[in-house]
Amino acid sequence: MSTSASHAADHQGHDHHHKESFISKYVFSMDHKMISKQFLITGIIMGVIGMAMSLLFRLQLAWPDEQFGILEMLLGKWAVDGKLDPNFYMGLVTIHGTIMVFYVLTAGLSGTFSNLLIPLQVGARDMASPFMNMLSYWFFFVSSVVLLVSVGVETGPASAGWTVYPPLSALEKAMPGSGMGMTLWLVAIALFIISALLGGMNYIATVLNQRTKGMSMNRMPLTIWAFLFTAVLGLLSFPVLLGASLFLIFDRSFGTSFYLSDIYLEGIGALENVGGSPVLYQHLFWFLGHPEVYIILMPALGITSEVISTNARKPIFGYTAMVISLMGISILSFIVWGHHMFITGMNPFLGSVFMILTLIIAVPSAVKAFNFIATLWRGNLRFTPAMLFSIGLVSFFISGGLTGIYLGNAAMDIQLHDSYFVVAHFHLVMGSAAIFGMFAGIYHWFPRMYGRMMNSTLGYFHFWLTFATAYLVFFPMHFMGLAGVPRRYYQFTLMEDFSVWADVNKLITISAIVGGFAQLLFLYNFFVSIFRGKKADQNPWLSNTLEWTSPIDVRLHGNWPGELPTVYRGPHEYSRPDRELDYFPQNEPDENAPEVFAPVVKIESPKEEEVPAENSVFFAAIKRVFGLSR
Amino acid sequence: MDKSINKKVKDPMPLIPPAKFTLWLFMLASAMLFAAFVSAFVVHMPDGEAKNMWTSFDLPIYFFYSLIVAVACSVTIQMATNAAKHDELSKNKWMIGATLVLSILFTVSQYLGWKQLVNMDLTFVNRRPEDISASYVWVITVLHFVHILAGVILLLVALFKSIKLEIHKKQITFMSITSTYWHFVGFLWFILYLFLYFAR
Amino acid sequence: MMPTLPKKSFNLLNKKLLSLSMACIATVISFAQAASDVIPPPQEFDPSRWNWMNILICTLILLIVLVIARAFDIGGLAEKITGKKIVNPHKINAIVGIVFLILSFIGVWYEIKYHGKYLLLSDAASEHGAELDSMFMWTFGFTFVVFIFTEFLLFYFMIRYYYREDRKADYFFHNNKLEIVWTIVPAIVLTFLVLRGFNVWTKITQTPNDKAEEVEIFGYQFGWKARYAGEDKQLGENSFVMISGTNPLGLAVEDEADKLNASLQTEIDEIKVKIASANDSTIIWRAALNKMESTGLNNTYESEYDALREKVLDAESGSYVRLMEKEIKRKETNIKRVDAFKSKPEIFNKAAYDDRVTTEIVLIKNKPYMFRFRARDVIHSAYMPEFRAQMNCVPGMSTVFPFTPIKTTTEARKAKGNDKFDYYLYCNKICGAAHYNMKIKITVVGSEAEYKTWLASQAKVVAPPVEATPATPVSDSTAVIPAIAVN
Repeated sequence: MSTSASHAADHQGHDHHHKESFISKYVFSMDHKMISKQFLITGIIMGVIGMAMSLLFRLQLAWPDEQFGILEMLLGKWAVDGKLDPNFYMGLVTIHGTIMVFYVLTAGLSGTFSNLLIPLQVGARDMASPFMNMLSYWFFFVSSVVLLVSVGVETGPASAGWTVYPPLSALEKAMPGSGMGMTLWLVAIALFIISALLGGMNYIATVLNQRTKGMSMNRMPLTIWAFLFTAVLGLLSFPVLLGASLFLIFDRSFGTSFYLSDIYLEGIGALENVGGSPVLYQHLFWFLGHPEVYIILMPALGITSEVISTNARKPIFGYTAMVISLMGISILSFIVWGHHMFITGMNPFLGSVFMILTLIIAVPSAVKAFNFIATLWRGNLRFTPAMLFSIGLVSFFISGGLTGIYLGNAAMDIQLHDSYFVVAHFHLVMGSAAIFGMFAGIYHWFPRMYGRMMNSTLGYFHFWLTFATAYLVFFPMHFMGLAGVPRRYYQFTLMEDFSVWADVNKLITISAIVGGFAQLLFLYNFFVSIFRGKKADQNPWLSNTLEWTSPIDVRLHGNWPGELPTVYRGPHEYSRPDRELDYFPQNEPDENAPEVFAPVVKIESPKEEEVPAENSVFFAAIKRVFGLSR
Repeated sequence: MDKSINKKVKDPMPLIPPAKFTLWLFMLASAMLFAAFVSAFVVHMPDGEAKNMWTSFDLPIYFFYSLIVAVACSVTIQMATNAAKHDELSKNKWMIGATLVLSILFTVSQYLGWKQLVNMDLTFVNRRPEDISASYVWVITVLHFVHILAGVILLLVALFKSIKLEIHKKQITFMSITSTYWHFVGFLWFILYLFLYFAR
Repeated sequence: MMPTLPKKSFNLLNKKLLSLSMACIATVISFAQAASDVIPPPQEFDPSRWNWMNILICTLILLIVLVIARAFDIGGLAEKITGKKIVNPHKINAIVGIVFLILSFIGVWYEIKYHGKYLLLSDAASEHGAELDSMFMWTFGFTFVVFIFTEFLLFYFMIRYYYREDRKADYFFHNNKLEIVWTIVPAIVLTFLVLRGFNVWTKITQTPNDKAEEVEIFGYQFGWKARYAGEDKQLGENSFVMISGTNPLGLAVEDEADKLNASLQTEIDEIKVKIASANDSTIIWRAALNKMESTGLNNTYESEYDALREKVLDAESGSYVRLMEKEIKRKETNIKRVDAFKSKPEIFNKAAYDDRVTTEIVLIKNKPYMFRFRARDVIHSAYMPEFRAQMNCVPGMSTVFPFTPIKTTTEARKAKGNDKFDYYLYCNKICGAAHYNMKIKITVVGSEAEYKTWLASQAKVVAPPVEATPATPVSDSTAVIPAIAVN
């Protein structure tokens, strides 16, 4: 901690210009911009792997009787005669879920853009603790490696679904994937939690503590609000997952019985474990699991807010309402976990309570959706790829969010629970929506990251192909779910009732394959543009926020060559009638009304180590949060 | 525009030292971890009691002694911080040393407590179905002890710094971090002890 | 200076390519779904129509063409030659958006037309199902309106307000009236839905019906069993410690308990013998291993060699004996628990003797049932979609779900026009490799007499003329053989 403290201290002013070696520049970099690129590239790689896995099991679902020689070539004993092994199918489903939820949409999305944007948009030289920031990435990296290694172990990867419910995940003999693969899964998740906590602490500390002059809370871009709430959710819920996995580890390796009771296994006999409760794990898991949904979604919503506002050349509609909805969603997300457990044998009365709380969440979500639409209203919409992806997000958010009203209703959940309806719901509302937010962020801030532009024509193709195929993949699943088709089935040929969906399954798979290949356009565009893209202007989207005031053609550890910018107004002053330009950067003083926009409190730079020690952290934090100071 | 950083620019310091802010966030996270264990206990208990599968037992008295030691730790570390604030460097050093000794005492006391649990046949892996309650006590106390170990490392570094005269009125962040952390683990033990005492 | 967009290299060629391909792709994709159903009966669908290789190759070629076009920057070249100004990409995207919207609605309409009859939205086979269906319709009505309205607005605004250089967006931050409206209206509608859901949920889950007959549904890897009470109208007690090959549900049957304990004791004795001779076996195995190595057989019989090598290593490190000792401890605990279970006369009351364990569920129309769910190994979920019923089966926990069937299988067959139709109970919680093949048939009969005939044909657990219950089918024996049994 001492190193990080001192490092952070000497960030506050002098000498960032030391020569960086290759290692310290690209590998163990402490520059938030480099770390964000590391998160992004790792996230993209994990995303490609996760997507490829989904294509593999989609192949199985579409052509259950066909043999794909290529599979045997790829997977060896897991696809004898070109037919996927049921155990490995489960493993693919599980690892696909884990990768997408944690590695792509938590670390890849929130890790990338929190790291990139928080210091740049609040006007800080770097994160509160660059060292911890670096650690956060490397924990994430090691965790990714462990997870990928787990896919290759002899007995197969963890296969109990990404929620890894015990007893299935706790008993080595219940299925092959619950052996070594599950152990590695738990190790990977533990490392991931550490990474998420290190990152989250940094984000919160930076947002609350290191904002530049004039950047009061109500002038923060909505991205920052979203990242802040996301980090708070992560900080409060990831430790609970850590606790849940610790219990699971104890049950697996030491023989305790937190989750296990009254179990008889075929071929073994009655186990010794008694007294535990499998439902306890579900409570603990979903206490993280539900906030996790918002950890995934909120950064995407924040990115969308900024992209839509910039490209609609219009202030975001209802800034305060947006912030309040984010806050409402964050708070409510902690008390609705039970809606994943309506039919687990939980007390029905508890079920009703959770149902009521769950449906309350629909209100702030609705407000957000309407506000997005109202922002488009009477705007001047520039359809950059980022803007298109943001609109796509809003579309997914609505179509996926509305089905949440069905599933949050305990009575209807009896029928729809764990059916394809659920698969459709969450893939639209948090899968596709969040990944579209990520794409929007990449297209929008690519010039900020690499100083070059991505090709927008390819971007358009990428968008329309992805948008269409995503709907084609997930929308038909609603119908399957309504017909009572259960999820996580290896094939449907043995169930006559479900065989009518064979052609829909094929449609879904073909769309998924087309959509998967559409991502090649993106990958090509992304990696080629890094080296050969058109050089970007300093402010290519004519945006207001501070990240475009820091030089984008050189990477500067410290972000601004001179003094930190001073902020004079909120981030959404687009198309002001009294100005000729249709944007008004936050750091530009207004000659017409300097009194109104000047920062109210003037802060003098205190001497190092003096003031802080005397200050009570608590009161200072309160002051900062309510924007009383600075 | 010159694209290199101007070394003469002096940025305003953040209001709170970043390390200290981060410590508070860490404490929040670790409090959540214990909250998870405590709520698991609370969820599990009525379930077990309904099936008559939940042992209630007296906590080992040593855990109470640990509580007293923890309070003492809090007092001495606060005295060390106060001493540093007033530049009483030798007192600071001695007080950090005293806390270190007390932390060893805490360790011993926890160890005896665990031994007593084992003697009561309440091992980590429950021998009988109803002894799952003891498993919880084990998890909670051991993980708390992991926090104590981290605190001991902090103390050792603080002692080292104090001997090297690196803790004084103008350079007090580390000292105050150490002391905040020790108050935290002490307070945590207080809460956990009360919880286990009344809920067991 | 007016705000200008960063000039994108949009040119004639790119524009044509863009508009043409997008129109094509959107059309093709949106109609693909429809096309999949245009061949009227989906059952007769010909999979060869979807020549996946061709589709993959086409996609790949399309992508390669795109990439090559991009790489050579044909567009930039064309711009240089023609010197013409670019066309508004914003307009093109807006138009594609509208086309997309229309095509998607058509696609959804087709889907409903061709697959609508398979959706379980009406004609529920249980009493409470009708209420769920009606609630679904209410929710659907509300969300459908919102869905159409918002998605339409989204795409309409795209085309109405796409970028034009001579326009400036309106400058406003919020509108309290509007915001209040779209906070309050959803809140009211949701309140309505919540109250309705609350009522239905309470009614379904808390029906204390004394007349209801209890049926136990028992899930295991990978199958289901049902248990009906006998003449005493009482399901006998059970415990997981009693489960054995001949007593798959672990019922409280004295003979079974003795048999189980005896066999456990035999197994323990066998293991003890193995432990006693562990040292000798180690030496023998080691010798065999060395011989294999020296004769070069280890290359010919690789897997056998590896297995033997592992066994030798285990034996030499002592983990072989440790595992066996653990196994003895587990079996001894089992014996102790069986004895403890047996010593409680109030549980061991012979109520289970006349129960019937069946591999099919037969229910009587209009008779209220209380289903009691148990699982043996991992969590399963009993999912009866036609009855709008589902409940998890959790080991160590007994869960319940009550419902009353109101349509016999025959009636359902007639209604669906499918002679082979049957009700099924599926597993709906991931439970292992054969999760996808875990179902049990449910037959609803019209009269008590039919039911009685069927029940009489099922064997009692302990029948006066001794008749063993059908043995549990061994599911995936290779995966679950314990380490010591390999010997």
